[in-house]
Parts: sequence; structure tokens; C-alpha cells
Amino acid sequence: MRMSSKSFLRLGVIAASAIGVAAGAAADGTSPREVVIATTDGVIAVLKDKSLSPDAKREKIEAIVYANVDFDTLSKLVLARNWKTLTPAQQRDFETEFKRHLSVTYGRNIDNYRNEGVVVTGEREEARGDRTVQTKVVRGEGGSDDINVDYRLRPKDGRWYIIDVIVEGVSLVANFRSQFQDIIAGGSAATLIDLLREKNAKGEAIVTPAAVRSRTED
Amino acid sequence: MRERNARRAALAVLALLASTCAACSATNGSARPDYDPWEPMNRGIFWFNNKADEFVLEPVARGWDFITPRRVQDSVSNIFYNMRFPINTVNNVLQADGRDAGIHIARFMVNTTFGLAGIFDVASDWGLVTQEEDFGQTLGRWGLGPGPYLMVPILGPSTLRDAFRYPVDGFISGIGYTGYGIVFSGAYVVEAVNFRAQNLDTIERAKEASIDYYSAVRNLYLQRRRALINDSNQIPNELNEDLYNADEFEELP
Repeated sequence: MRMSSKSFLRLGVIAASAIGVAAGAAADGTSPREVVIATTDGVIAVLKDKSLSPDAKREKIEAIVYANVDFDTLSKLVLARNWKTLTPAQQRDFETEFKRHLSVTYGRNIDNYRNEGVVVTGEREEARGDRTVQTKVVRGEGGSDDINVDYRLRPKDGRWYIIDVIVEGVSLVANFRSQFQDIIAGGSAATLIDLLREKNAKGEAIVTPAAVRSRTED
Repeated sequence: MRERNARRAALAVLALLASTCAACSATNGSARPDYDPWEPMNRGIFWFNNKADEFVLEPVARGWDFITPRRVQDSVSNIFYNMRFPINTVNNVLQADGRDAGIHIARFMVNTTFGLAGIFDVASDWGLVTQEEDFGQTLGRWGLGPGPYLMVPILGPSTLRDAFRYPVDGFISGIGYTGYGIVFSGAYVVEAVNFRAQNLDTIERAKEASIDYYSAVRNLYLQRRRALINDSNQIPNELNEDLYNADEFEELP
């Protein structure tokens, strides 16, 4: 299938690496820009570390992502109006499975790291007190292969958290929202959670069973 | 005569497009799903496209990927992109974007000469970088909304507006009017196979990463087209408001 632009299909992989890159340690009081830089640098350092096994890398990246992405807000945003229709238990299940989904699918990109670098190119204020930090993933010379990745951050409990990643204009929140709306419209919230759970189990069986088993047991 | 009818039909469709879009911006607002009134048909075509991909394109692309080094694939892609020069340039002109039209002309001159007939993308190394253009983007620039989402057999995701790129861009590049139609469609097949080969992993991973592959692709396409038309990665304000509103949702216990 021929798609519209050369970069269109590349987005999948990039979106994948971007959310992996959407992480990093940041102390309280750090600016949104610093959160993003610490995040991307932290993930790149893990990716570059040849002494780590893929499983160890995934675990480290996961820790960075979980520390810097606000998954409560993210879960609400991707479910939008449907969020209210979920029972508290379902809300918790959804959040767990959604996190797992991101980890399983994007964890597979760890081996695809090709020495890309990240440069912050700008920052702007958004509605609701949010901030967007604009970055470029730099690949190769000339700049024709650079990918624009924006991070949207929102303050919570005195620090900034990433709540969306926008790759070449494609918001991950919007993309998941559209998928989840379709699934819930054709079934129910329970359908969605089951589907996520099923897909995660299948994905984990393919990727790295050992690492995942140890993690899901705790 | 035939030509005039065709033109009238095109105008009628454009008018229809404009009116459907007035309707869709009126119903806009919150949580508006991607506009897809032809979803059952689209899903059918999407299913067919995926089967065609699975049984024909992907296996061929795997073979091509096996026998050709990455550099050769890049060169093939460069050659085709270089041949796309009239489409890019004419659309930039139609969008009154003189700067990018100039860049496309310069790219073509540099890559055709120094880049040995487009094999090497020397222009990009020189910083002559700009985005791909097509007639769908031109119509978007002229203020036409995307209209209904449309899955085109074999060619993939589109919208009613964007589907106009196939005949118009085809006309611009002279395909079908030169008497070399078969040669050109052969060239398209090579381009498609090469492109698919370059994206074997990407597509596999996109399938894995999505919960509902159909709506994931649809949304990806629509968002990406919007960004291309606006020449900006910023989420437009009217969507921004709804997309990031978590206030009215209850807290997690």
C-alpha cells in the first residue's frame, strides 16, 4: 500500500521511540524544558549502554517513563467522556492495562535505536496552564530525516509531567482516543479492557516473557 | 464535451465536499470522532488492502529487501522522489508558496546533476529541505475541509478531498497522457515494493502498537494531513480545547 508521504509510515516507529523517550528523572521545581531534556537524555543513555541486556534496558526506560508521565491524566484524556462511565475498579484496570500496552509495544523498539539525538527547538504556553516543549529527533545529516516531536506537560503536585507526545503533528492522546472510542462504541468499557489485556498477554508472550512475568507478579 | 462533463462533475463533488464540511464543523466540538460516514465500506476496503498487502506486496517486499542493501533502497526512493518534482513544484505554486517551490526546483536541479539523476539526495545534505506536496494539500490550503474519510483500494487511506490528488497529480506528472501508462504503472509498482521494503518493521510495529488498527490508521492519517496542510505540528486550537480537557472527569480513587 502506498501511503501519502514518505514520512507517514515512519511515524509509527518514531511515535514508539518518542514515548520511550518521553521520560527522565527530574527534581521538583525543574522547568518543563528540563523535564524533557532530562527525560530524553536519560533514555538515550540507557539505549546507548551496551552493557545492558534488552530486558534491563526496558526496565530502566520504563522507570524513567513512569516517573515523568502522568498516567492518571493520560488515561482520562484518552478515554475522554467514556472515563465517567467506568467503575472505579475499571478505571484502575484500564490504567494498568494501558500502561502495560505502551510498555509492551514500545519496548520492542529498543533494538531499533540508531544513534538518534534529541535537540530542544522551542517552547510555548498552552491553554490550561500547560506547556509544550518542541524537540527534534536528529537522524543523519542534512536534516531531511529529522522528526519533530512535541511534548505537552501539565503541572501536578508541584512538578511537571508529560501528558502527550505529538509526533509530526500526530498526538498520541488523540490517536488512542479515536481507537478507544470506536471500541467502546461497538461494545463497552469492559470490551476495551479485555481487548487490551488479551493483546498485552499475547505481546508479552512474544517479547520477553521472563522480564514481564517478574514485573507483573509484583 | 466529455471534458466539460468531467469538469462539471468535479465541481459538483467539490461543492458537496464544501457543504459536508460546513456540516462537520457545525457538529464539531467535543469528542468528535474522526468523520467517517462510509466506515462500513472503508473497513471492507481496508480489510482487502491488508490482505493484498499480506499476500502480495509484503512477500515481494521481503524478497526485495533480502536482495537489496539499504543504500540501494534509499537510492530507488530518491530517484522516485526526484521524479516527483513537477507535482511538488506545481502544488507549491498553486498554494502561492514561492519559497518552497524554489526549494523544490533547486532540489531537482542539484539532485539531477550532482545527485546523478536523483540517485543521491545531495540537496538534502546541502540543507535544501522541504516537505512533499500534493493536490490534496493544495485543496486544503484553499480552505476545503477533508470531507469524509475514504479508504482507496490498493492506494490506502485518503479523504474525499485528498482523493483528488490521484487524477490531478497524475495529470501534472504527465502519467497516463504520455502513452507510457504501462511503463509508469510498472514504475509505481517498483516504488510501492521499495517503499514497503523500507517499512517492513514500521508497519509490523504499527499493527502491534494499535488496539484497533483501522481507527489508528484513520486517525494517524487525518492528523498527519492536517499538520501537512497547516505546515505546522501544532494541534489547532479548536481541537486543543477538547483534547486536553480532563477537568470534568472524576478523580481516580
